[in-house]
Amino acid sequence: MDYIDPHIHMVSRTTDDYETLARMGCVAMSEPAFWAGFDRGSVESFRDYFRQLTEFEPKRAAQFGIQHYTWLCINAKEAENVSLSREVIAMIPEFLSASNVLGIGEIGLNKNTKNESTIFLEHVDLAAKYEQQILIHTPHLEDKYQGTRMILDMLVQDSRIERSRVLVDHVEEHTIGEVLDRGFWAGMTLYPVTKCTPQRAADMIERFGSERLMANSAGDWGPSKPTAIPDLIMELKRRGHSRDLIRKVVFENPRKFFSQSKNFKADALHSESASN
Amino acid sequence: MSESPKPKQRHAEQVLTEEFLLARSKILDLAATIDRLQRADGQVESLEKQELLEQGIKILLDDQGEKAKRVQLLMSRQYNPQWREHYGLH
Repeated sequence: MDYIDPHIHMVSRTTDDYETLARMGCVAMSEPAFWAGFDRGSVESFRDYFRQLTEFEPKRAAQFGIQHYTWLCINAKEAENVSLSREVIAMIPEFLSASNVLGIGEIGLNKNTKNESTIFLEHVDLAAKYEQQILIHTPHLEDKYQGTRMILDMLVQDSRIERSRVLVDHVEEHTIGEVLDRGFWAGMTLYPVTKCTPQRAADMIERFGSERLMANSAGDWGPSKPTAIPDLIMELKRRGHSRDLIRKVVFENPRKFFSQSKNFKADALHSESASN
Repeated sequence: MSESPKPKQRHAEQVLTEEFLLARSKILDLAATIDRLQRADGQVESLEKQELLEQGIKILLDDQGEKAKRVQLLMSRQYNPQWREHYGLH
């Protein structure tokens, strides 16, 4: 089944992974800017990173017929450095006209600090000024519930933000309800140990329905599985769910959400029909 | 935005049949983890994590629903609605 991975960090993956993903049915992906495993020291490091995301990765993906999109920001972990964050935010507009940029992301919180919140608000302001969509990172483990509530507080406070243009990622059982109830899109991250398994993601689809809900692998440099979405597809098939339902979660929903960005090439997206 | 109907649910007997071996395996993993902790050298100095695990196990055994959500909340830091005032962010 064709699918879209709306959150995967391909700068950390090999070219073999691109080939495997293509063989598994991946036709498009979006790659939010994130933490590289170590703190970068200057704005020029981010400039090179953004060039990698907007110039190099799309070409690598295209070799295997995969559309590659990206989101730009300084991530929450490095946002603790406020002065560097402001330099990066000031530089981001240089890249917003690149043909694969969908918006600002993945912005969010890590340890839910004042500095992280300050930089989150400045990213939201940037997105509003440039009419960009937003992709949100919510914190891990014990920080997730508190951080998600704080993020939602900040988003709903800004009247310029259209909730239908915001994707809140890494939702789990204790955060998904409020994200959907408040009108945002929600992403479930299929990531070993610290986030969500395909089985629990299937449970959330059964519990909350398929509206404004999608799934991603968040494959990166840590223990992660870039082919996690096919695992979810298999779990939903095993439970007897319809092809239309599965396709809505793994293909139609990300396509619908991304289509709100002028850079998303929905018409060029290769896709099998739902009845195949 | 139009709302889609909730996906169909499997019959309870089917869920039990299909999930039994997986649940059995996870209970054994948890039991073996507790055995490992009990035979480990020394004693746990900070009881907070151990108490969280014990409270989580109690949630599994009580007669209330939404167990996954309740275990998640048990393991979460509290949310303070006045956090913005606390940080001086208005």
